[in-house]
Amino acid sequence: MSTTAAGAPDAPGSGLVASGISRRFGEVRAIEHMDFTAPAGAVTALIGPNGAGKTTLLLILASLLAPDTGTVRIMGIDPAEHPTAARMRVGWMPDTLGVWESLTAREILRIMGRLYRMPAAALESRVSDLLALVNLEGLANQPSRVLSRGQQQRLSLARALIHDPAVLLLDEPASGLDPGSRIQLRRILRELAAEGKAVVVSSHVLAELDEIADAAVFVNQGRSVLAQTIHAAAAQGRRYAISALDPAALSAALSFRGLQFRVEPGRRSAVSLLLGSEDDAARLLKDLVAADIAITSFAPAGGALEETYLSMDAEQR
Amino acid sequence: MTTINPLPADPGPDVSPAPDTSLPAGNYLRPIGVVLMLELRQRLRSRGWYIMLGIWLVVTGAVTFLSWAGWNSSQNYSYIVPDQNPGPGSLIFEIVLAFVLLFALLVAPAFSANAVNGDRSAGTLAILQITLITPGQLVWGKFLASWLVSLAFLVTSAPFLLIGMLLGRMTAAHVLVALLMLAVELAVVCAIGVGISALATRPLFSIVVTYLTVAALVVGTLIAFGLGAMLAQGTIRANTPDYSYSEVYTPEEPRYTCSGDFYDLHVTRTDQVAWMLAMNPYVVVADAIPYPDRSQPNQMIGGMGFLEGISQGARWAIAGPEATTPCANGQVHPGYLRQTVPLWPLGLGLQVVIAGGLMVLGRQALRTPAHRLPRGTRVA
Repeated sequence: MSTTAAGAPDAPGSGLVASGISRRFGEVRAIEHMDFTAPAGAVTALIGPNGAGKTTLLLILASLLAPDTGTVRIMGIDPAEHPTAARMRVGWMPDTLGVWESLTAREILRIMGRLYRMPAAALESRVSDLLALVNLEGLANQPSRVLSRGQQQRLSLARALIHDPAVLLLDEPASGLDPGSRIQLRRILRELAAEGKAVVVSSHVLAELDEIADAAVFVNQGRSVLAQTIHAAAAQGRRYAISALDPAALSAALSFRGLQFRVEPGRRSAVSLLLGSEDDAARLLKDLVAADIAITSFAPAGGALEETYLSMDAEQR
Repeated sequence: MTTINPLPADPGPDVSPAPDTSLPAGNYLRPIGVVLMLELRQRLRSRGWYIMLGIWLVVTGAVTFLSWAGWNSSQNYSYIVPDQNPGPGSLIFEIVLAFVLLFALLVAPAFSANAVNGDRSAGTLAILQITLITPGQLVWGKFLASWLVSLAFLVTSAPFLLIGMLLGRMTAAHVLVALLMLAVELAVVCAIGVGISALATRPLFSIVVTYLTVAALVVGTLIAFGLGAMLAQGTIRANTPDYSYSEVYTPEEPRYTCSGDFYDLHVTRTDQVAWMLAMNPYVVVADAIPYPDRSQPNQMIGGMGFLEGISQGARWAIAGPEATTPCANGQVHPGYLRQTVPLWPLGLGLQVVIAGGLMVLGRQALRTPAHRLPRGTRVA
């Protein structure tokens, strides 16, 4: 099965391609024959439950872990054969924070740059640019132990970007970020994709990914289950939550139109139903308003990816 | 709004990156320097390190003072003519040296034995591994950092060895050789610690194993030598020594003549197992310290220092019964072995083989992409 997520044709050797990846840890099969593609110029989400093999896959893509079978190509380069060339092109932000606590943010970025053999003159301005990018200028000369978790996450992102990699692997980048930082992260990732980089993001926060990702690869139990673009995810139908001043009238109106719906628990008298497309949603809202139902809210109940995720999860169990 | 300025140079896909190259050796050394700087900076910013250094200074000072005070009080009961009295210098020197070596052996594992797996626990190892640094450079950097940090303790104790020199009989050469050998022993222990820390999963485990390895070198070699000697029995041919009284006694001259019929003498073949003794850090250091001049008469006054004693004992063991038993093969043998052929290169060589082997294994364990992971660990 082809799992090229974004349908856009790419120049050969651009982005990240992994095929037939398997990896065991003793008896545990962490990943089994997984395919993964992250084209250049797009943000690809890696979605799956805990223990699905996301971090293992990212470690293999980052050339830290060798797969038992399968191949990885980073911008067309095999990291097993040309580790230096591959690593120049990969930035990796781990899910663990891992900071040298007594060093300042500026020192950490400088050290990383020197380990990527960046010339000293270029490095200084690069470090300053990145500190500005992740909004850590004010804390740049503080020991990183005083940084909050979210600030350390942002430092970690800057560290992954220090050598301007063509492929960026981010393991749960949004965890621990406050809403403002999340919006900023989203903007940074979109910018990087617009510059032509292949960005891979693993996350649990699916609503977040709807906004960031161009495509998603769903993994479960070590296999890539499904790959789809956000457009495809949106087109497959999506659950909408509707509430009205008079819930009884709303229910009656929906029943009259022969629509299946369910009353959402917990929410104040909201119902939800699955609609095939945004056109369907627009038409239904228009109908309901025309039928004089006093609608107070009408919105997607979850992200498009969440819908896929939940349906996939249901299939698996 | 801030934007990222892309770096100017993006080499083609099949070209390895073009760094600021000057010399191939410089290219290899530079990342080592970065790791070294990274480690040292962290160490110098932790207060605990300075506290330890302060405690070390006070304790070494106390040991020095007590050795001097002890020597002073023993002078009331000394029969040595004041003119010939060598002074407390060599006593202080030997006690301080032995003490510094003891503490070096205790301190060095603490600085080295969690160098790699401590980073792994903190999540900072993979961050280094993802860069262009090679496993060899990483291991070298970690080793040099722990060694330099340990050397700071040695530098702190150097003044007390100098006191030993100023108070008599010891020369600057003694102090230099002592400091050099202590530094080398620290390097051996640090290399062992870094190697084990790269191999073992948990810092606690690698620290314990490193201490046990050091204990094996210090105590284990003695036990192994003793047990080995019990197994290494043999016989040599010897005849009878005839001791005649001599007024003028120089230690290097034999005091007997050999005569009579040869017979089989039951001996312990220490020469077969003494290489284990040679690995002992105390033997290595003691054997490298220059001996006092023993070629003239009456130079055993003041006795043999215990470092000299350790060295002599080990040399007797490695020389074996053929060379030390009176009248073995009808030969006379000196009662004192000169320092012409040193023993310490053998012991140090064996230590370097162990330490180097661990470093090489540690380097293998850090290779990426990693094929095997220690049980229960994550890369990041």
